[in-house]
Amino acid sequence: MTEDQQTHDDRAVQSGGGPPDGSATENALVFRLRRFFTRDELPPLGTVRHWLLTTNHKDVGILYLVTSLFFLVFGGVLALLMRVELLTPVGDILSATGYNQAVSTHGLIMIFWFLSPFAFGFANYVVPLQIGAKDLAFPRLNSLSYWLYLFSGILLGISYFQGGSFEGGWTMYAPLNVPTYMPNIGSTTTVLALVLFVISVTVSSVNFITTLHRMRAEGLTLFRMPLFTWSILLTVWMMLFAFAALLAALLILSSDRILGTTYFTAEGTPGSLLWTHLFWFFGHPEVYIVFFPALGAMAETFQTFTGRRLVGRKWFIIAMVLVALQSFLVWMHHMFLTSINLQIKTLFMVTTIGISLPFDLMVFSLIYTMVKGRIRFTTPFLFTFGALLVFIIGGITGVFLGAVVLDYQLRGTYWVVAHFHYVMVAGVMALVGGIFYWYPKFTGRMYNKRLGKATFWLFFVGFNLLYFPLFVAWETPRRVFEYPAALTPWHQLATVGGFLLGISFLLVIWNCYWSLWRGEPVDGNPWEYSTTAEWAVPSPPPLENFPGVPSYESGSLAFRDDDTPETSTDGGTTVSNDESGSTAHDHHDSHASPWPFFIGIASLVFFLGLSGITTGGIYPVLTALGVVFGAVSLIGFGLESFSVTEPERGERWPFEGIENGKLGVWVFLASDIVLFGAFIGSYVFLRVGYGWTDWTLVPHDPIPGLINTYILLTSSFCIVLALVAAEKNSRWGLIAGLSTTLLLGIGFLINKGIEWVELFHEGVWLSSNVQASTFFLTTGLHALHVILGLLILLYLIPRAINGSYLNDERPIEYFGLYWHFVDIVWLFLFPLFYII
Amino acid sequence: MTSTKLYTVIYVVLFAFATVQVVIEGLSGIGYEIAVAGILLLSVIKAVLVAGYYQHLLYEPRSVAYVVASGLVTAIALTFAASYSIT
Ligand code: HEM
Ligand SMILES: [Cu+2]
Repeated sequence: MTEDQQTHDDRAVQSGGGPPDGSATENALVFRLRRFFTRDELPPLGTVRHWLLTTNHKDVGILYLVTSLFFLVFGGVLALLMRVELLTPVGDILSATGYNQAVSTHGLIMIFWFLSPFAFGFANYVVPLQIGAKDLAFPRLNSLSYWLYLFSGILLGISYFQGGSFEGGWTMYAPLNVPTYMPNIGSTTTVLALVLFVISVTVSSVNFITTLHRMRAEGLTLFRMPLFTWSILLTVWMMLFAFAALLAALLILSSDRILGTTYFTAEGTPGSLLWTHLFWFFGHPEVYIVFFPALGAMAETFQTFTGRRLVGRKWFIIAMVLVALQSFLVWMHHMFLTSINLQIKTLFMVTTIGISLPFDLMVFSLIYTMVKGRIRFTTPFLFTFGALLVFIIGGITGVFLGAVVLDYQLRGTYWVVAHFHYVMVAGVMALVGGIFYWYPKFTGRMYNKRLGKATFWLFFVGFNLLYFPLFVAWETPRRVFEYPAALTPWHQLATVGGFLLGISFLLVIWNCYWSLWRGEPVDGNPWEYSTTAEWAVPSPPPLENFPGVPSYESGSLAFRDDDTPETSTDGGTTVSNDESGSTAHDHHDSHASPWPFFIGIASLVFFLGLSGITTGGIYPVLTALGVVFGAVSLIGFGLESFSVTEPERGERWPFEGIENGKLGVWVFLASDIVLFGAFIGSYVFLRVGYGWTDWTLVPHDPIPGLINTYILLTSSFCIVLALVAAEKNSRWGLIAGLSTTLLLGIGFLINKGIEWVELFHEGVWLSSNVQASTFFLTTGLHALHVILGLLILLYLIPRAINGSYLNDERPIEYFGLYWHFVDIVWLFLFPLFYII
Repeated sequence: MTSTKLYTVIYVVLFAFATVQVVIEGLSGIGYEIAVAGILLLSVIKAVLVAGYYQHLLYEPRSVAYVVASGLVTAIALTFAASYSIT
């Protein structure tokens, strides 16, 4: 992170790039591996190394797109299996558990591993271009997101081979989701795969939020930002908070499954209700998270192919902002059939009606844009237009579900299934439009237009043939393969539609593949009325996107000569000086790193190990391997020299006065607040349900907790002193501050350990009762944060001893932000679990 | 006041408040609700001090505080609405 790393960097380059010096010890394999993963320059396109090492947003975008299409095929095969099974009203080709697994993983794959990442393929590629940035704020973290995503998907795949995957539906309702009912290791693996996926999503959210707020070209105010980018901006903000709630739900579920806590089997107020709250608090925003990018693609293509600015553009943006906010206030409309009280059901019925209003506005805005403009029925437009049509049907049928009384009838039926496929696959349809729209940009070639249009019609017919009969046959019970025999013809029709839709997806993929070689070459901009910046550069754009520094100062896009860049970093080391005394013009950004890939593999091994850790055998070994390999990779990531330039000028509202790194830390902490908030919320919820004052505290006396409060407060103070010392260039002050913090942190853990061991001796264990479960898990999550902090300190201290951080104390400051946050959390856990 | 002095004063206050929280719990005279309210209020004050000064949130752009606040509001909304929904 600082210049002192220069020496280290030189070493890395020498030992990685050149022949090994004094290579007696280095055997040939290690040498080869090292060379393979060395990253001085980004290896040429078309090599495997390129795709393993790249951190460039365009490459990562392509990786996301291709991988998500793979998961589309995976999820699609499962869907067709179900459709074949449903040809008759009785079970025939699939076993009951087979069907359960197909339903569940189909839903999980399509929502998590296909639709969102598909949208993020576009986001990765297009957003930096649209805002005039060379890349995302933290390119290595971006590639890390990708690898975590890929490996989480592979982990899900592995779950099939561990006695079967998850069987309780994508909503994973409790108590079905606990081992009593679903003992397979594979189900635990599925949950952990989702945990890994959420980590990837969180990293992405932080990255995109920082990028979108801090890396826009001069003159590109938020209001002027293109609509696709707007949709992504709102999506990532929703993701940041919604996925944190999901993470809480998943961590608690993992703990119920692995450690034996009893949250979701808690009696009194059923733990099952707790799950629905946590899940749907995430789940409703999630439906907009998957839909918003599609909406952005619609707005973009409607403008380009009607040759007209979106009618009521300002109101369209305001409506999107409203929906994003409101999306957090409607979750209980998924819970009308649970035991929640009538007042709150009514309230949530009202908020649900409320959220459909801004949606109406957006739909009208799109329609009027067509009316006012002159439509060109290209393939992308056909797809996004078709998406609008089916989305309207999906939205209207949703309003039925939002009415409490109707939902009593419709819940758990195919009405719901038809509704959400109409809306979600509308999103898919719009994004397929996005593929055709941006294909020429990604590849420099035009897709096959005749085939494209034909595919649209097949897609549209297949779609409606598949999903419309489900409305008619709405009395079919959801997630069950037996249904009233009278409905058979409708289901057979749907199966035919399913195959047509499946074929049309294959045609889309085929078209993309075929056109790579045979498509007609295009220049930068094949669309007459496109207005956004990605069309102002060649197709595909060069590595660093723009011929100069993009600026909108004059009202339209122009490129200035290169500015002198500041250096900044995403946690790696910045190289800024060199002997030739070169100016910043020679400075070049890094575009490759092997560490994200390694961290990804390590996570896969680690979580795979966790899934069966209680069964012994190979699993504990895998966990340990994952930890070691992960630690090595993270250290590699930290020490690697990786430079990124932060543009000198640009629009940064509302975060002008704070640098990228610090903003990233704060944004991450905000999501961590929601994570802990959801844990504390779960505790409060269970305690209220139990009877607040009937609840007994687990620790008998508050003194160990109080001592730990003192310890953490003191450690916070020490970190503050360490930062002050670093600012004053006092190396020893810095080292003293950091080391004391380390010792205090260890003291905190020892004290906690003693307290826990005593409780264990008394026979109080995580699974004893719900009080013990909440106590151990919530304070355990906190202790895990302390441990992570200590590991970071173990990295910082040796480097401080070597003289780092005196010229640039930002790493100390960022660490302090995290450490103080952990302290603050304890300030609440202590009274909640020890005193009141 | 130099910054180090300010940080030290805050540290002392934090230390004292933590102690007071435990003392309040031991007092027999006051009702449970009042004790809970007092204890939580002290936690809030402590949190604000740490965030405001140790994390120097007070000296960052106001928008950063809003980001933190939105996280808090999200968590609190979930907690209250869920607890209220119990019949
Ligand atoms: C005006 C807009 C909408 C309204 C009023 C609405 C309302 C509802 C309601 C009340 C339910 C719960 C039904 C039940 O379980 O009984 C539901 C389910 C669902 N909706 Fe919507 N919805 C709307 C738009 C959307 C959009 C845009 C999407 C996604 C792109 C979506 C995706 C879903 C999904 C996935 C479910 C099923 C959840 C499950 O698995 O149980 N909805 N909708
Ligand atoms: Cu919903």
